[in-house]
Amino acid sequence: MLEIKPIFKALMRSKVGAVLLLLQIAITTAIVSNAAFIIYDRVTYLAQDTGYDEENVFSFAILTFGKDRDLMQQTELDETFIRNLPGVIDAAAMSAVPLSGSGSATGFTLKPQPEISKRARAAYIQGDEHVLNTLGLTLLEGRNFTSDEVVVTESAREVPNVVVVTKTFIDELFPEGNGLGQTIYMGDLPAKVIGIVESVSGPWLKDSRPKNIVFIPLMKAMKAQNFVVRTESGAREEIMKNIESELLQQYPDRVIDWLTAFDKSKDEYNAGDILMMRMLIVLIAVLVGVTALGIFGLTLFNISKRTKQIGTRRALGARKSAIIRYFLIENSMISLVGLVIGCFAAHTLGQLLMQHYEIPVLPIGYIIGTALSVFVMSWLAVIGPAKRAADISPSIATRSI
Amino acid sequence: MLTMNNIGKIYQTEMVQTHALRDFNLQVNEGEFIAVTGPSGSGKTTFLNIAGMLEPFSTGQYLLDGVDVGKLNDNQRADLRNQKIGFIFQGFNLIPDLNLYENVEVPLRYRGIKASERKRRIEQCLEQVGLASRAKHLPQQLSGGQQQRVAIARALAGEPRFLLADEPTGNLDSLMARQVMELLEQINRDGATIVMVTHDAELARRAPRNIQVVDGKLADFTLYQGAPTANAHVLEGV
Repeated sequence: MLEIKPIFKALMRSKVGAVLLLLQIAITTAIVSNAAFIIYDRVTYLAQDTGYDEENVFSFAILTFGKDRDLMQQTELDETFIRNLPGVIDAAAMSAVPLSGSGSATGFTLKPQPEISKRARAAYIQGDEHVLNTLGLTLLEGRNFTSDEVVVTESAREVPNVVVVTKTFIDELFPEGNGLGQTIYMGDLPAKVIGIVESVSGPWLKDSRPKNIVFIPLMKAMKAQNFVVRTESGAREEIMKNIESELLQQYPDRVIDWLTAFDKSKDEYNAGDILMMRMLIVLIAVLVGVTALGIFGLTLFNISKRTKQIGTRRALGARKSAIIRYFLIENSMISLVGLVIGCFAAHTLGQLLMQHYEIPVLPIGYIIGTALSVFVMSWLAVIGPAKRAADISPSIATRSI
Repeated sequence: MLTMNNIGKIYQTEMVQTHALRDFNLQVNEGEFIAVTGPSGSGKTTFLNIAGMLEPFSTGQYLLDGVDVGKLNDNQRADLRNQKIGFIFQGFNLIPDLNLYENVEVPLRYRGIKASERKRRIEQCLEQVGLASRAKHLPQQLSGGQQQRVAIARALAGEPRFLLADEPTGNLDSLMARQVMELLEQINRDGATIVMVTHDAELARRAPRNIQVVDGKLADFTLYQGAPTANAHVLEGV
């Protein structure tokens, strides 16, 4: 026997507590569904495979202040020196370091600009023929650069006419998978795709196209030059420890800086996200806990307020199950209204977050899932007090309390 | 109708064992109107609670309309209570959030009676106690006497064979008390069996049969037509 109508009328006659609880449930639903989605989004992002052997790769920068050396020559000397260190598999100077958060990107097109054609944005990394091996990349199609194809220049117009690209990038420009051998344009400068490598992350993990990379065989003399080094398993720590002193022995008029392991680089890049995720988890736990306590407390309060009424109902023939059902129905009515409001609020909050922050649209499944979870939580919170209410003796009805 | 054989009720705490009722024997026949009197703490309310199956007894046997109450589980007791007994409480025990109609409806809902039949019975009972026009009022909008009449309507709505009244006039002034008593007498004349606990000797004298509970035991004074008899006999130990 459901008592929806009388319970509803009774609630309407003393609605302050119910309204407060309802609002609490609505706020919890709105915040938890968005927070849960953000956490999921961040977990997916943090768990993404960068494609690198992160534990055996590191990078650093050389800032040269000495003016007595040819910078390009010194870079090549340094590369050779590092490649010959025991435990080093390969090393290369690169214009940008993957996962570092710093680099360059541009749009690549199918026709020379200003002609209008399909365009795909990609980060680009300039370096010599050792770049792919240093990063540990596997060629899926085509070939690597040869040393003859590497252009060593100071001119902005003198550029190579070949590139190696990631699969994600070339598939965006050529969805049919026929990108190898095609010519793409960087502005009006053409370059033939001679190789396609597996998709790996570029400098920015949070990029909308994080795995679009174009590798360009180009070396430029730079006062600040990035180097990436891949070592044999377990050798990285020792090499990182000594690399600064060994390079300075080769030429002292410079500074070695930003010596960073790839995995640490990724962690540093993601530190803010990890902190935010932890805070959101705490927020969800606190909100759900407070709401559960609210429901628990309100039900206990209602029971203590209605002890005589419950005893009277029992005296008038209510089974224990009827008393439990009464509180469950009462709680369900409050919760359902709160959840409906909460679902709309969650959707609105999701829209606002999407507009103001880099958060994808909140899927409806998250709202429904959260609403169901909050509903189950509200039942769990009310079932204990409801059972306690059912245990109130009917003889309380004849006591003068 | 109601038979209690050697009923005992012991309240046990860690330190003390209290015998609220002992060797309590009572036979109530169909259509009787019995007043139960006795000093405070004598066991009147305990008797009422046990008669109404509001609390279990410790020893003895209790038969209500032929059903051995001691063998029933909690649900069966609740159902039997709902079907056979109408309660009238000293404090009226109306549910403040429900209007008069809904208050009278409570026991009928627990019995699973369908809405149209509930409506018929509620209107009839409210009519009987003279409050049909105030069905939508909340209890707090009524006087004490009116509230007790609603409680009587609630007790009657289930068409019980047995009415248990716990100090039904205890919270009422003398005029209202008289009106409520007249209503109970009318209900008794209509066929209901009534057991009324009261400390009001004058009220008790209006009941055809008086029993007195003293120290958890029972003394029975049979009265006829409101006049006390000289040869009241003690049933203690019967």
